[in-house]
Amino acid sequence: MKLSGLSFRALVASLLLASASVAEHTSNWAVLVCTSRFWFNYRHLANVLSMYRTVKRLGIPDSQIILMLPDDMACNPRNAFPGTVYSNSDRAVDLYGDNIEVDYRGYEVTVENFIRLLTDRVGDETPRSKRLLTDDRSNIFVYMTGHGGNEFLKFQDAEEIGAFDLADAFEQMWEKKRYHEILFMIDTCQANTMYSRLYSPNIIATGSSELDQSSYSHHADNDVGVAVIDRYTYYNLEFLEAHVQDLSSKKTVGELFDSYNYEKIHSTAGVRYDLFPGGEQAARSRLITDFFGNIQNVEVDRAKDLALEEELVELSKTIAMLRKREAAEDAARHNVSSIPASVPTAPPRKIQGAKALTEDDWWTKKVIGATALAGCALLWGVGTFLEA
Amino acid sequence: MAPGESGQPQASGDSAPVASSPPLPPPEKPSAVRQRSYVVLSFWLVVLLLGLPIWWKTTAIYRAELPLDRMLKWADGKACRPVFPLQISIQADSLQEQEAQNLIRLTQHALDDLNDFSGHHLRLQLAPRNAPLPRDDFQTALTIRLKPGTSSSASLNQESAVLDITYPPNHVPSLTSPSSPLASYITNELRATFAEEQSIISYLLSTSSMSTGVRPQGLSAEAAEALSKRTTRSLRYAPTYHLTFSLFTDNALPNTWDIEAALDEYIRPMLEVLRPIHNFTIDTQIQLYAIPGVQSQVLSKDHLSSFINAAEWPLSPSIGKAPTINFVIYIGNQTVGLDAEAETAQSWMIPQWGTVYLLSQPDTESHVSTAALKQPMLTFGGHLLSLMGTPQSGSLPLRLSTLGRIRSTDLLLRASSTLGSLARLSLALPSISIPRSVADGVSKTMHHLELACADLGGPEGLMHARIAEEEAERAFFEKSMVGQLYFPDEHKIAVYLPLLGPVFVPLLMGLINEVKKFIKEAKQKAQEARSKKHQ
Repeated sequence: MKLSGLSFRALVASLLLASASVAEHTSNWAVLVCTSRFWFNYRHLANVLSMYRTVKRLGIPDSQIILMLPDDMACNPRNAFPGTVYSNSDRAVDLYGDNIEVDYRGYEVTVENFIRLLTDRVGDETPRSKRLLTDDRSNIFVYMTGHGGNEFLKFQDAEEIGAFDLADAFEQMWEKKRYHEILFMIDTCQANTMYSRLYSPNIIATGSSELDQSSYSHHADNDVGVAVIDRYTYYNLEFLEAHVQDLSSKKTVGELFDSYNYEKIHSTAGVRYDLFPGGEQAARSRLITDFFGNIQNVEVDRAKDLALEEELVELSKTIAMLRKREAAEDAARHNVSSIPASVPTAPPRKIQGAKALTEDDWWTKKVIGATALAGCALLWGVGTFLEA
Repeated sequence: MAPGESGQPQASGDSAPVASSPPLPPPEKPSAVRQRSYVVLSFWLVVLLLGLPIWWKTTAIYRAELPLDRMLKWADGKACRPVFPLQISIQADSLQEQEAQNLIRLTQHALDDLNDFSGHHLRLQLAPRNAPLPRDDFQTALTIRLKPGTSSSASLNQESAVLDITYPPNHVPSLTSPSSPLASYITNELRATFAEEQSIISYLLSTSSMSTGVRPQGLSAEAAEALSKRTTRSLRYAPTYHLTFSLFTDNALPNTWDIEAALDEYIRPMLEVLRPIHNFTIDTQIQLYAIPGVQSQVLSKDHLSSFINAAEWPLSPSIGKAPTINFVIYIGNQTVGLDAEAETAQSWMIPQWGTVYLLSQPDTESHVSTAALKQPMLTFGGHLLSLMGTPQSGSLPLRLSTLGRIRSTDLLLRASSTLGSLARLSLALPSISIPRSVADGVSKTMHHLELACADLGGPEGLMHARIAEEEAERAFFEKSMVGQLYFPDEHKIAVYLPLLGPVFVPLLMGLINEVKKFIKEAKQKAQEARSKKHQ
């Protein structure tokens, strides 16, 4: 009795702590990764595309969805229905549609690019649409599918990402405050091993199958000729379609996890709560729309402060004018133009000639080159001298 | 030849034990033996002296020295105590010099006694007499103009950072009195003026890891919530923001709008004022036949978050590197229904994203005039300030200078925490490479952090904080610091075994043979020496 009382108190304390530390999130992001190519892996692309459709349906804009597709099933010559991808043999919903934004495609889908995406260690040339621009108020839904094994997931046919690498990438994100909470979902063979090495907080992880279990496809479409979706993803989608019709749904992540069973999925789906502050209870009570939807806590303008705002504009004008006058006075007085603070004070640019890409050993290289030239000249001189 | 033939078996019979063993090669010449030893030795020397160092060098991970201790110190807030000495000059031309000095001394005392957050320090000084109107710069945060009047009153000047205070003549402290009503009045006014800034900054400090000793004291739950709402709402600092003004309509009309004129009239002045802190770029667009996410006539608050049809409306131009702030005007006669039945609203703000405004207009109108755009633009302007994180109270100049200080603090804290992250990561991941550019970035960051810390609150501080944050981000997100960090042992074996197996077998066998021979020879020598002794 005493023990239960104690544990109850601990629970209350942890709940309080959790509620104190967990502030609301302000943006939702989704990272949807398919890692396999070729026609017979049609179902993996269909998995990802159906998840893409779901998160988009629930309001996450394309700019906040990172979609990685290593192959293009819609335009595959073997596709009997060109330009479409279906995840069900009834072919009711064309997943490709006319509005799809693939961020990483073909051979861009690599382990390196995936880790770069998560850690945001990208070059200056990378456009914003290819970056995961999250902050400490962003919830991220990470979905991966492909062919996996014990603690690895194969990317394309050449490389693989290990569970340790994934865990380190998440840790780097956590260190840099790049997420608020993550829902990690993976549908591969032996999927649960992939999240076993994670060690960063605020992650809920779920996978389709245990160590030494395969993850099976749900059904094949006889006209498409291949399996069109995996079981685990299929039943996830079924739940989401049935119970999470829009953002007002109050279904929790726990209810989604409870809907998994061996009879349906044919493998043991796993869930990991221990990284989440507050443990199982707190994790299970998270709303599905916290991860799949785009929650915005909008602020409606109640009072009409038109006069006030108009005043503000007028004020801005006067202040701007005053500043300009001051600047002019300043310039007249000091004969120096004032630089606005927002312009980084760059040193006066001098025109440079050709510039080496790296400055290392610039002089050594010059000396070597000069010596080589001089040597050649000397050899030539000696040659002509001997000839004479 | 017969006898010879018959003779041979005899001979073979004689030497039968010798012939059954294979014929021995001629004994090796000592020089050849020595040569073989040299060959084995040289192979091993090449492997050990050349191969091993090259392997070591090429597979070693370059890790530049990072000043980890100092970085962690910054992150823990031990390297810098953020203080904001705010200069407040008092113009009291109507008072005697000595009286004014006394007043300032008293007020300063009162302020110091009341101040619970030592970082935020108000420092009073007497302005020179008959000085021109105070300049709107960062040197003095606020100027107080004292004027004699009939009763105590205070008002903030709207155009510059000036607090006008009138006082009844009998409130002026005499030279000997230890307290005065005027001094306490000024103190209270000052505290009220800077209350919001103080609470925002102390909230920032308390939520960061730099919270040593700084706790927002006496912060009510409500105030804390308002503060966290402010941080939720405001965008992350960026030197440049991109503003997108969009007009969406669900049919073909209207298809033109006077956006340029409206921007010039209502938005640009505000941007001009924000210029010292941020830069802005602007683009505009019109989208026809745009269907919103929710189509009901009266939108409830739950609807608002799904009103933006994110799937189909092109709202993220990803132009350049700057984050986008969206201002959307939707032409339609929908209204927002609030809790109270009669109350309706036209616009709402989405935190860190922008604003949506519902503009009703006759269906036949094909043009949106400047007059129609006035109200939306004014709303956008007000929201822009909120999205930037400008405090709510006070006059505009004061709010702006406060914004500058808040941003400096924010940047300083961010840069420090990035340094801490980098230091912890480099300890936690021993196999990550750290190129020299990272070390350079770190030292630059710390240099600018120190400069920023020395002058928090001034324009220099903001600039240095910004550079520091930029450098810290660049160092943390160094492109070459990626790579697969973890290789399981199986992989290492799989790589090295096929490579080194065929090489090492002969090398090892050669070495073992040589060693065996050496031992044998040594034994033989020892035996010979012993037998010699016996003789």
